[in-house]
Amino acid sequence: MVASDRMVVLGCDHSAGAALDELAAQGRALPAGVEWVRLPCGGGLDELHILRAFESGAGRVMVLACNDSACRSVQGNRWAEKRVQTARRLLEEAGVPGWRLEFKAVSPTQAMELLPWIEGFAAFEPAAEETSQEGTP
Amino acid sequence: MIVAERKPLAEILGNVRGVGRVLLVGCNTCVAICLAGGEKEVAVTAAQLRLALRSEGLEGCITEGCVERQCEEEFNEELGDAIATHDVVLSMACGVGVQTLAEQFPDAIVYPALNTTFMGRPEERGIWSERCLGCGNCVLDKFGGVCPITRCSKNLLNGPCGGSANGRCEVDPENIPCAWQLVYDRLERIGQLGRLMEVEPPKDWSTSRHGGPRKIVREDMVL
Repeated sequence: MVASDRMVVLGCDHSAGAALDELAAQGRALPAGVEWVRLPCGGGLDELHILRAFESGAGRVMVLACNDSACRSVQGNRWAEKRVQTARRLLEEAGVPGWRLEFKAVSPTQAMELLPWIEGFAAFEPAAEETSQEGTP
Repeated sequence: MIVAERKPLAEILGNVRGVGRVLLVGCNTCVAICLAGGEKEVAVTAAQLRLALRSEGLEGCITEGCVERQCEEEFNEELGDAIATHDVVLSMACGVGVQTLAEQFPDAIVYPALNTTFMGRPEERGIWSERCLGCGNCVLDKFGGVCPITRCSKNLLNGPCGGSANGRCEVDPENIPCAWQLVYDRLERIGQLGRLMEVEPPKDWSTSRHGGPRKIVREDMVL
């Protein structure tokens, strides 16, 4: 598979979305090639959203949801993490390496950390043995 | 309901690799309830197939579809045009649905994408367990509504065996309760423990698979 530079971030609006808004208020933009999708809650994430992002050409996907005990819907963040685990298994079955999907818990006050996380994941290069397995479902 | 599981993607891929147009058809009845072959699972499998084919540098056209009940021909009629324009039909129904499509569209190449597993019920979210073997001669009245044929690992009609301990089955104590403990508890609760004094004769399996493929004919419903 030819990996695209495009990256999709699926972020819970209550935590990651608030941090993103704070970044915007500071006049800081997301790196080029990063597309942000706002989720009303991490619990609304479906593995199909992640598969669709890859299908539509994203090279990597990051899911951001609330910290434990901080979800307004009580367990939305736990469901988001479960969906990410499922999606990673489905992707690996299809020959897309799991490192291309990342999950992070974030709080609304972590605007300063958010940008380095995204930039770090966008620039991340796995070890050679991980890339050699790409495209072998 | 019928409970099934999706086949491993590699096995499905083996049947569609190099095929031009694939019609992936789910069923919105039992296999949708057990999250194996409904509309959502069709979408997930289609996305996986597209990604897998792309990762191998192959072209593949995967069309998604879903019918209400694939085991009944009238629900499948709407698929006629699509089946005619695709090279392979990949069915995400149970084995009954797959065979219905193959019988109804005899020129179509139909492959299964699920492993049909058992007749059971959802115990809780994400967990299904077997309840009926379809033996053709129900004995649930004698055992307090607990089927020893299905739920006893040894299908014992005169149990328990020596492998029952603390209400669990020796085959897999962690996951399998002893069916005979369940039978005893249930009969005690409904005041029918006396039923256990009766010795069950050997079961006549001719009503099950031992009599060959089964068929029911309701003469009052046939012209």
